[in-house]
Amino acid sequence: MDYVSLTVILMSVSSLLLPIFLFDPKRREREPAYFLGVVLAASLLMIGINTIYPAPGTIFGSLLASDRLGGIFALTTLFVTLIVVIVSTYTKRGPNTPAYYSLLSFTALGMVLLSYSQDLLIIFVAWELMSLPTYVLAGFNKRSMESNEASVKYAVIGAMSSAIILYAISLTYGLTGTTQISAVVQALSTQPLTLATSVAVLLFVTGFGFKMSIVPFHMWIPDAYEGAPIIVSTLLAAATKKAGFVSAIRVLLAISTFYVLTQNPIFTLPNVFAGLALVTMTLGNLAALTQKSMTRLLAYSSIAQAGYILIGFVIYSYGIQNSAFLREASLGITGALFHIVNHAIMKGVAFLAAGLVLLQLHRGDVQAYDGLSRRMPFTAITLSVAFLALAGVPPLSGFWSKLLLFLSVINGPFAWLAVAGVLNSAFSLGYYAWIIKRMYLDEPETAEKVNEPYTYLVIFAVSIGLIIGFGVFPDGIINFLSGAFTNIAPH
Amino acid sequence: MLFAIGIYGLLVKKNALRLLFAVEIMINAANLNFVAFNQYLWNNAVGQTFVLFSIALAAAEAAVVLAIILVAFRLRRGIDVSELKSLEG
Repeated sequence: MDYVSLTVILMSVSSLLLPIFLFDPKRREREPAYFLGVVLAASLLMIGINTIYPAPGTIFGSLLASDRLGGIFALTTLFVTLIVVIVSTYTKRGPNTPAYYSLLSFTALGMVLLSYSQDLLIIFVAWELMSLPTYVLAGFNKRSMESNEASVKYAVIGAMSSAIILYAISLTYGLTGTTQISAVVQALSTQPLTLATSVAVLLFVTGFGFKMSIVPFHMWIPDAYEGAPIIVSTLLAAATKKAGFVSAIRVLLAISTFYVLTQNPIFTLPNVFAGLALVTMTLGNLAALTQKSMTRLLAYSSIAQAGYILIGFVIYSYGIQNSAFLREASLGITGALFHIVNHAIMKGVAFLAAGLVLLQLHRGDVQAYDGLSRRMPFTAITLSVAFLALAGVPPLSGFWSKLLLFLSVINGPFAWLAVAGVLNSAFSLGYYAWIIKRMYLDEPETAEKVNEPYTYLVIFAVSIGLIIGFGVFPDGIINFLSGAFTNIAPH
Repeated sequence: MLFAIGIYGLLVKKNALRLLFAVEIMINAANLNFVAFNQYLWNNAVGQTFVLFSIALAAAEAAVVLAIILVAFRLRRGIDVSELKSLEG
């Protein structure tokens, strides 16, 4: 029995056991959180061991494979979920608290399965397992109009995106007669190009694009992030979005190894990705600049970051077919992975800090951040570090991942994408620096100190440590991540 | 064809329940695809297995979305999605 299947079994059992706390009115508030926290910590440990010393071969038939790529994503998402569980203890949720933790546990299980999936069947099942609980979590404050509105929008659009993915899978099955990803790729590579293949690939891009928050499919993101309880927004931005990326990597980048979208040289898969990347980062940054609410600002900046990550997809799908660009392809995809991991940490901690401000001051607009450095000094410094890292200021972690991404495209036909990326980064510093200026230079409305709980401080310290640590010593993590991409596609 | 009807429904309708129906139509289009491809192209039962999973998941999804719409109805006495405007900007 290897560690991945142990983790899956452990988390399934915990998801099903957690509702038992519902029958014990005395132990409803805290105990489920401790229970789930221990389960997640144990899973994190087991996945960690398995990622460093991977067990060979496949798990559960050929549905899962414990490779390093899956390990990285499972670790990232589990880490974020663990933080979310710890922080959740600060909010009272009434008699349904055990159900809340059970849903969190189901989501985490879905994300772990999605990370390791090798088959379109398990991708679909894990996708639903991950998404369905988050619809409910987004609407968990059921007396609040905003929370409910966020949940309705998210649920309808989420259901649509999974229907689109299902249709794409059905077309793929019709073309190849299998749902095993490596077999699908093999079968497609021997076939002539048809319209159905193009439609299937484009539908995959659309379906995964909704979760990845790529621009034409992003309209639910700001509403859902703002209306949902902010701890749930942390989960959506830092964890489930990453799971969208891993499934896109597993399916689309595997398909891209042989596949050009049409015979028409303009409308190819790298060009589609490049267009999406450009629109996504530009529109995300432009919209973020005009926001009055902190969560909406973070939501739009999260959209912009998805655009940077897509640059890695562009160069990978281009380079894998042009042997002159193989080195750039591996550089770009390493940068994309690094940026995904960084983004989970940076965005996660930024959302947590904004959540703490909301929890203590009951305000979410940017005016609430005036002079925050004097009222909540640790929160202010954490937000500043996270923002500078998101903008890509050296020596923080965000700088290296963006550098890798831009370097990978600077030679070759997509150089304009690097220029656009650098311009966008400079541009995004505009609103990040604006918030930092508010926190440090503006006068607060009142000067009274606000309590910052120890748990938050520990989490902030760990995250800042990771951001600066990855920034000062990037070699180790980059080498580790670059090894993840050797077995994605059959060669 | 069914898939196109579903997309049309999603784009045009304003009632949350109708949106849910449209999504269900899209899912059923995919299910029909699976069964038909399985019967006429590949005799390997993968498609039929997939349909079983997808029907179960579609039911779960419908239950969750219906519950959310029910809460929306209790809060607002209506389920017209064009009224959901408290989060703009």
